[in-house]
Amino acid sequence: MQIIVVDALIVERGGRRVLDNLSLTVKAGEIYALLGGNGAGKSTTLSALLGFLKPVSGSLSVAGVDPASNAEAARHKIAYLPENVALYEHLTARENVEYFLALAGEAHGPEEIEAAFDAAGLQAEARDRPLGGYSKGMRQKVAIALAVVRQVPVLLLDEPTSGLDPRATADFNALIGALKERGTAILMVTHDLLGAADCADRIGFLDNGRIVEEVACDQGYDVMALHRRYGEAVAA
Amino acid sequence: MTGLWRHELRLFLRQRLALPALALMALLSIASVWAGMAEIERQRDTIARIQPQQAADVAAIAKWVSVEGDAGNAAYYTFHATWDEPSALAFAAIGQRDVAPYILRIRALGLEAQLYESENYNAELALPGRFDWAFVLTYLAPLFVIVLLHDLKSGEREAGRIGLLAAMARNQQALWRRRIGLRIGGLLAALLIPFLIGAALSGASPGLALIFIVVAAAYILFWAMLCLWVGSRGWSSVTNAATLAASWLVLTLILPALGNLAINSVVPVRQGVELTLEQREKVHGGWDKPKQETMQAFFKAYPEWKDTKPVEGGFHWKWYYAFQHLGDLAAAPQAKAYREGLEARDRWTGRFGFALPAVGLQTILHRTARTDLNAGLIYQDRIRSYHKQLRRFYYPYVFNEVPFREADFVKAPQWEHR
Repeated sequence: MQIIVVDALIVERGGRRVLDNLSLTVKAGEIYALLGGNGAGKSTTLSALLGFLKPVSGSLSVAGVDPASNAEAARHKIAYLPENVALYEHLTARENVEYFLALAGEAHGPEEIEAAFDAAGLQAEARDRPLGGYSKGMRQKVAIALAVVRQVPVLLLDEPTSGLDPRATADFNALIGALKERGTAILMVTHDLLGAADCADRIGFLDNGRIVEEVACDQGYDVMALHRRYGEAVAA
Repeated sequence: MTGLWRHELRLFLRQRLALPALALMALLSIASVWAGMAEIERQRDTIARIQPQQAADVAAIAKWVSVEGDAGNAAYYTFHATWDEPSALAFAAIGQRDVAPYILRIRALGLEAQLYESENYNAELALPGRFDWAFVLTYLAPLFVIVLLHDLKSGEREAGRIGLLAAMARNQQALWRRRIGLRIGGLLAALLIPFLIGAALSGASPGLALIFIVVAAAYILFWAMLCLWVGSRGWSSVTNAATLAASWLVLTLILPALGNLAINSVVPVRQGVELTLEQREKVHGGWDKPKQETMQAFFKAYPEWKDTKPVEGGFHWKWYYAFQHLGDLAAAPQAKAYREGLEARDRWTGRFGFALPAVGLQTILHRTARTDLNAGLIYQDRIRSYHKQLRRFYYPYVFNEVPFREADFVKAPQWEHR
């Protein structure tokens, strides 16, 4: 079942065409990695899915909702992790989750939040500490816990493993693997081809606002060949 | 309080500057209300003390004047106290009450010089103004609005949360409205609660206190709107703060000062003390004029005393009071021009108030608290009217040469409470 559908999307910013006939789909329980260099259109794709940008033409759908015409309803179905998960440093992990849930208009009991923290792998002793002393990996776990408790069908990740050490990256991959198992459609944008290859079911290479190549894990691909082809471009 | 408001409140109060800012605002408001109430209590106490002292003075004068029964002596030596009772809200906006006289003891001599002879105050003290609630509201409260609102959105943007907030909030407008509401609500509470306690303790009318509350809220809202407008430019928090601090300087200090300079040059007004000197010179000129010339001029204005016994010989009280009276008449055009000049300046200040919120706010607060120029002029009018009554009381004794006895002192007109 297609949860994210982007079809022939054209988006312009400041008179420049940033997305040019972009088409992609992400199914329930699938991880899609969108790779591209700076200015390729990765963040614009996320902004369009969150309803922050109006497309010139084409269509979008997030769990059956068009973010261009009903951004609020679309955001209700999305959990979004920005590159730097910036939560409130003077609130504890628990208070942050409670705050953002309230902001989203969602009511969840303490047991559900505890279970989400467990699922995200955040140590119990850390949950009532202010986020000021958290590492990036721990912050991501809080944000993942937020996504878990919300049980949304879509997770958008912006450069999720940037700045994480190898162990935290492995933890993170395990986390999103668990979310995938729960049926969440996950779209991540990244520079990191090798990292994407570790966890994604499909990888799309974005250049000048359009997908120039798409590979699927189950069909097999040569990572090193892809790296030679796109490594320089996506690292830019 | 709904869950979201509770969460926002917790978020707001945990911020580094929020609680210290609100606590400092409350402290300043409490201190200004306390200082204002202490000053007004001091003025009330002085007014209360002057009445028994006045009675003791009159009794002492009556003792020796009534021996000879000379009405001229009675009118010359008896001072009559007048006072301007502060309104219940004067504590919050002291206005001109700290520089203009609120007690004046007058005699049945020339009035103009008596009106302005106390118009010499400590200019250094008058320059910064008194630390009252109106001062805190006008000059300090905008700084707290700036502290609380300058980084409302830019702070979230700089912390990297703006995208997440936008993605998570069901209603973004409501999110910002709640945050603005909490900050402005907290600030208004810190500012207004001490004022309301002061107003209740002073017995202020709820209607007048409500005017204070409404104009204070409108003024704070103006600064909040300015902060939001600057915040909407997309600048950094530092740039927002610098722009707003500069706006504060221009709107509350520089433009009002330039406006004052402009008004003073467009409407030149001589000092009241100059009027005093002029009237005194006219009065003193009376000593050198022939008595008959002075008396004829006086009788022309007041024919009711024409047929009284003529002035003969050296000094006579009739002649003395006549040239005192003529001194007032001679200074009347200048006194009128002086007053019209003050009123014109006041009107111009009111007009500036439409463009400069700080000026408009102070104009309304001082008008409502009856501590403005107009209140001072009303007090002067009451003194003039009382002075007329005193002359009407003493002149029949002086001009008809009726002996003035101890019992006559109590017949003198009394200053009436407003």
